[in-house]
Amino acid sequence: MRRLIRPVAVVLACLLLAPFALLPVPARAADDVKIALVAPLSGRWARQGQLKKMGAEMAIDEINAQGGIKALGGAKLVLREADAGDSVEKAVSAAQRVLTREKISAGIGSWLSSFTLGVTEVAERLQVPWLSLSYADNITERGFKYTFQTSPVSSVQAEQALDLVVEVGRKNNRPIKKAALVGDNTAATVFFFKPLREKLLAAKGIELVADEVWTPPLADATSIVQKLRATQPDIVFYGATNFPDSVQVLQKVKEFGVKTAIQGVGAWLVTPEYVKTIGKETMDGIQTVVAAHPMKGQEELVKKFKQRTGEPFMTQDPLCTYAHVWLIKEAVEQAKSADPKAIREVMAKIDLTSGPAPSSLYPSRIKFDERGRRTGASPIIVQWQDGEPYTVVPTAVATRPIVLHK
Amino acid sequence: MHASELAQYVVTGMLVGGVYALMSIGLALIFGVMRVVNFAQGDFMMLGMYLTYYYAIGFHVDPLLGALLTLPPFFLLGLLVHRTFLARVTGGGDPNREMDAQLILTLGLSLVITNATTMVLSPMPRGINAPYASKAFAVGPLLLNQARSYAFLMALALAAALYALLTRTDLGRALRAAADDPEAAGYQGIDVRVMHGTAFGLGIALVAAAGGLLATYHPIEPNVAVNFIVLMFVAVVLGGLGSIPGAFVGGLVIGLVQSLTLLLLPLQLQNVGVFVTFLLVLYVRPQGLFGRRARAV
Amino acid sequence: MREGARGWLGIAGVLAIGLVLTFALTERYHHRILTLVFLWAAMGLAWNIISGYAGQISFGHQAFFGIGAYTTVLLAAKLKLTPWLGMGVGAGVAVLAAVLIGTPTFRLAGIYFGLATLAYPLIFRIVMDYLGFQEVAIPMVREHPILFMQFEEPRSFDLLALALLGATLVLSRLIEGSRLGYSLRAIKENEQAALAMGVDAFRCKMAAYALSAAPAALAGAIYAHAILFVVTPEAVFGVLVIVQTLVVCLVGGVGTLWGPVIGAAIMIPVSEILDGSVGDRLPGIQGVVYGAALMAIMMFAPEGLFWRLRRRRAPAAVATATGTAPADREREAAPPAVVPGAVLLDVRGVSKAFLGLQALSEVSFDVRQGEILGIIGPNGAGKTTLFNVLNGFLLPEGGQVHWEGDPITGLPPHAVCRRGIGRTFQVVRFFPHLTVGENVIVGAFAHGGTPASAAARARDALVRVGLEARADSLPPALTTLELRLMELARCLATRPRLMLLDEPLAGLSADGIDIMSAMIRRVRADGITVVIIEHTVQALVKIADRLVVLDHGRRLAEGAPGVVTRDPTVIEAYLGKRWLARHAATPHAADLRP
Repeated sequence: MRRLIRPVAVVLACLLLAPFALLPVPARAADDVKIALVAPLSGRWARQGQLKKMGAEMAIDEINAQGGIKALGGAKLVLREADAGDSVEKAVSAAQRVLTREKISAGIGSWLSSFTLGVTEVAERLQVPWLSLSYADNITERGFKYTFQTSPVSSVQAEQALDLVVEVGRKNNRPIKKAALVGDNTAATVFFFKPLREKLLAAKGIELVADEVWTPPLADATSIVQKLRATQPDIVFYGATNFPDSVQVLQKVKEFGVKTAIQGVGAWLVTPEYVKTIGKETMDGIQTVVAAHPMKGQEELVKKFKQRTGEPFMTQDPLCTYAHVWLIKEAVEQAKSADPKAIREVMAKIDLTSGPAPSSLYPSRIKFDERGRRTGASPIIVQWQDGEPYTVVPTAVATRPIVLHK
Repeated sequence: MHASELAQYVVTGMLVGGVYALMSIGLALIFGVMRVVNFAQGDFMMLGMYLTYYYAIGFHVDPLLGALLTLPPFFLLGLLVHRTFLARVTGGGDPNREMDAQLILTLGLSLVITNATTMVLSPMPRGINAPYASKAFAVGPLLLNQARSYAFLMALALAAALYALLTRTDLGRALRAAADDPEAAGYQGIDVRVMHGTAFGLGIALVAAAGGLLATYHPIEPNVAVNFIVLMFVAVVLGGLGSIPGAFVGGLVIGLVQSLTLLLLPLQLQNVGVFVTFLLVLYVRPQGLFGRRARAV
Repeated sequence: MREGARGWLGIAGVLAIGLVLTFALTERYHHRILTLVFLWAAMGLAWNIISGYAGQISFGHQAFFGIGAYTTVLLAAKLKLTPWLGMGVGAGVAVLAAVLIGTPTFRLAGIYFGLATLAYPLIFRIVMDYLGFQEVAIPMVREHPILFMQFEEPRSFDLLALALLGATLVLSRLIEGSRLGYSLRAIKENEQAALAMGVDAFRCKMAAYALSAAPAALAGAIYAHAILFVVTPEAVFGVLVIVQTLVVCLVGGVGTLWGPVIGAAIMIPVSEILDGSVGDRLPGIQGVVYGAALMAIMMFAPEGLFWRLRRRRAPAAVATATGTAPADREREAAPPAVVPGAVLLDVRGVSKAFLGLQALSEVSFDVRQGEILGIIGPNGAGKTTLFNVLNGFLLPEGGQVHWEGDPITGLPPHAVCRRGIGRTFQVVRFFPHLTVGENVIVGAFAHGGTPASAAARARDALVRVGLEARADSLPPALTTLELRLMELARCLATRPRLMLLDEPLAGLSADGIDIMSAMIRRVRADGITVVIIEHTVQALVKIADRLVVLDHGRRLAEGAPGVVTRDPTVIEAYLGKRWLARHAATPHAADLRP
C-alpha cells in the first residue's frame, strides 16, 4: 500500500491543478463594465442560482450584441459570478471576494433572503449598488443606501394578493369565507403569513380555519392535509419553499382528495420539475403569487430564453435577473460612468417606464423610494394550466385567462 | 380524540419510520462491524435514488423493483470504496484513534460525491412520478399511502433478509465475530479485512435500496442526504450501536415519535420531540434500546 | 509538558505571525480569510479541550457557538446592549448550558456521548426558528459603531479574533500543564485506571466541558459580527459549524495546541482559494477537490498532521527495551514476618451477582495493619470482583466494607483512592501515550498539589521501585516487569495506606517474581498494608502472612499459609493433592510451618 502513496499524490496534485489549467481565464478589457452575481451555484440551492445566472447571461449577451454601453463608447458588460454555496458564511465571502477582486459597478443576488441580508451588508460597506429580487421586508428596513429591492415586499404582497384573490372570488360568485395557512417557517413565508394571520384575513371577514407551519424538512404531510380535509377551507395560502416538502403536501392533497384552491406564495411553486415529479394534472389550477412572470408582450423574450437554455418555460428568477441587468445598463448609461457611487446616485433617482427592465415587472415602472423599495410594486398571480404556469392576474398583462376549478 | 384519529397518527408514523429503519440498518451494520461512522451514508443513498430513477426512466422498471436492483452494484461499490480508502485507516485495532481519521475520510467522501453529482447530473430535482405515490389504501377509516406502504413492506423484507444472513449463515457468523472481537476472530481464521469490506458493501447496498424506495415519493437531487443523515444516526444510536434489530426499531421509533409529537407540540417543533425522546432514552438506558452494556472493569 | 517553555514560546510565535499577517495583508478579502483562520483555530482549540484532551468527542459544540452568537446579537438588537458586554453574557450562558448538558450526558460513553451532544444544537436550531429568529440581521450602527463591534477597518476584526485565539491558546497551555490536564489525559487513555488513581472523572470532564464552552461562545459572537452580519439558526447551530471544527482539529491533530492552529491555517485558505479560483467558474469543483484533499490527508496522516510530522521527525523517541532490570539490591533476604496490628479493612458479608451468576457470596474477612494478605482461589472464584467491590468499581448487593472504621461501601473509585486505598490491575492499565514519569504523576496528583510537587512525588516513587532511568520512555517500550513496577510506582504515588495488588506476578519470569516479591516486601516495610491476589500460590506463600481462599464466590478458608494449604477443602477445590506433595518436600517447606 505504501507504494500507492506516490501515484495517489500525483493524481491528487493533478486534480488540484487541473481546474486552474483547464479553465480559461476570461480575457478582459480594462473598460468592461462588470456586474457581480452572487447566487448559490453549488449545494442545496444550486438550481435557483443557476436559473438566475441564465437570466443574467441572456441580458448581457443582448446588451453587448446591441453595442454595449453607448455612453461609455460601446463598453461591454461582463458578468462576474461568485458562488454563494449553501451557507451565509460562503455567500458573504463570495460577495467580499468578488467586490474586492475587481472594480464592480453593481451587483445582483442572492435568492435566499438570509444570504441577501449578508451580501447587501458587504455591498453597503463597499458602496456598490445591489439589486435583489428577495421579498423579505427586512432587506430594505435597515437604512441602507445601496440596496434596491425590485420585488414588492412580503407584507405588501400579502395584502395585495389577498385583495386580488378576494376580487376574483367575488367576480365568479365564489366568495372566500374560510382560509388556511400552510407553509414552512422560512423568512419569506413568515413575512407573508404574519399580516394575514394578524389582521388582513379578519379585516375581510375571512375565518382562519387551519394554520399549519412546519420547520423544513417536513417528515410527512398527513396531519396537515387531514386538517385541511376536516376544515375544508375555500383557499389555502401555501408557502412550502423546500421542493421535497412541497411535493409531499401536494401529493397528499391529491391522495386525500382534498378539493381547495391553492394559492402559493413565491416563485418556488412554478419550477418545471413539478411537472416531472407530480404530473401536470395535479398542478393544474394551482396558483401562486410572484414578483415577476412573463407577461403579455414578452413572448419573444420567452422564446429566446427557451431556445438558449432548453428550459421548458421562463420564471421569476431568470426574468428578474434579466431585468436587473438591463436596469443596471440603463443606470450606467444615465450616469455616463461605471463608477458604483455614480450608479447609485442615478439608481436612487431613476424613473424608467419603458425598456426591457420595466417591461418585465409589474407595473412597468421602476422608481425607488428612499428605502430602496420599488414604488408601486405589485405582485402577479400565476396559474398552472396544461403543465405550464401562465400570468393570469392582473388581467391587463395576463397571458391566459384564469381558470377556476372545483 | 377519536381512536381512529390516534390510529392514523400511529400508522402514519410507522410507515414513515419503515424507510428510516431501512436507511439505518446499513449504517448500524457498518458501525457494528467496523466501528466506522460513515458520514457519506446519506450520499450513497442519494446515488441509489439516481440509479433507481435511471432504471425507471431508461428501462421502465418500477422503482420498487429498481430498489432491489441497486443492491448488487452498490455492494460492489462498497467493496471498492472500502478497499481503496477505508481499509487504509481502519481495521488497525485502535478504534478510538481510528474514529477520528475515518470521520474526516468519510466526510471528504461525502463532499466529493455530492459535488461531483451536482456537476455531472445538474442540481435540477428529478422525480419518478409513481402513480401510487398519491394514492392510498383505505383500511377502515385509515388511509395508508401506497408508496410508503410498499416501501415499508420492502424495508421489512430486506431487514429480515439481513437478519437471516447475520444469524443463520456462516458469513453472518463471521461478520458478527469480527464485530465482537476482531483479534479473536483473526485467530479463528476469519480475515477481518474482508469482513469489514463485506460489511461496508452490505451497508452501502442497503442504504442504496432504501434510497430507491424513497424515490417512489421523494424528489431526487444531489443534496437529498442532508435531510436524513441526522435521523439515521439518531436511529442507530437510539437502537443501540451494533444492533441491527435495534437500528430498525430505532427508525420506527423516530417515525412514530415524529407523528405522535404532533399530539403534544406544534408542527414546527416536530423534530424537537424526536431529539428529546432520543436524549431521554439514552439517559435512562445509556447503551441504547438493544445495545449491550460494556463491562465495567 | 514535555516541551516546557517551548510551549509558551510557540504561542508567542503564533501570535507574532498572526500580527505580522494582520498588518501585512491589504485586501479586505484576505483579512476575512485571516479572521476565519483565527476564529476556527480558536473554536478548534475550545473543542480540543473536551474532545482532544479528555477524549470525549463532542458533536454538539456548536451549541455553545450558537449561544454566544445569538445571545450577543439579540441583546444588541433588543436591549441595545453593547456586544462587548453581550459576549461575556453569552459566554456565561454557554458555561451554564455546558453544566446542564454535561451533567446527564457524561454518563454516556464514546459515540453515545458524541451524538447525545449533537441533539442539543439540533433542538436549539428548531426552537430558534420557532421563536421567529430565522434571520436576525445585525443592525448597522452608524454612530459609535465600535461600541457595537462594527469596524470600518477590517484589521480590527483580525485583531479581535487573534486576541481570542491567543487567549484560547493560553488557556489550553495552562490546562495542559495543570493537574486537570493530567487528569484529562489519564481519563482519555484509560478511565478505569484514572479513577483508581484518584481522578474524579466526572468533575474533571465537567470542568473541561465548561472551560471549552466559553471560548466557543466568544468565537460565535465574533463570528456573527465579523463574518456573517446576519445570524440564522443554520449558520451558528448547524452541522457545518461542527464539521468545520472537526476538519480543523482532525486534520491538524487532536490533543495538542498546535493541531487546530495547523489545521485552520491550512484548510481554510485552501477552501477559500478553491472557492475563489475555480468554484465561481465551475461550481461544485471546489467541493470535489476539497473533499479529495481531506481524504488524501487522512490516508497520509490519520492521526493528524502534527502527530504525523512529529513521528517522522523523531521516530526513535520510543526507546527499545534495553532490558536493564532494576538493580540487584532487591535480592535481599526476606525481612522477618511482621506482627499484624489493628484491623484496617473490614469486609463483612459482601455479595455480588451478575445477571444471575453469584460472583461473591457473603464474603467476610479482615485486613490488619502491616500485614501482607494473600487472596487465592481457582479461576472464576470472584477474586477480581472482590477487588472491584473494595475499590468502588462495583456496588455489592449485600454486605459492608469498613475502612479505618468508616463505611466505604458504594463510594466511587476516586474517593476510595483518596481515602488511602490504592489498586493495581490484573492486566497493567497504563496510559499508553504518556511517558512512564507522566503515568506516575497522574497518581501523584491524587491528593492535589502543584505540578511541581506532584512531579517530585512521582520521582520519589520511581526511585523507590528502581525505574527512575525509564522515566522518559513510553510504556509500550517497557518489559512486563518494568510495567508492573511502573504501575506499582503510580499506585505508591497516591500515598496509599493499603494497596490492592491484582496478580502482580503474572507474566513474570522467576527472576522477575523474585524482584517483584522483594519490592512488595519493601512496600510493606515502608508501612503500607498489602492485599494480593495471586495465581502462583508458591510465590505467594513466600511473602504472604495470611491467606484467604475463595471458591465460587465463597470464602473457603482463612489463616496462615501453612494451615490453609493443608486444609482439605482447599486442597479439594483448588490446590490438588499433588501440589502439596510436590511442595511439602521443597526447601521452602519451612514456610509452610503450621
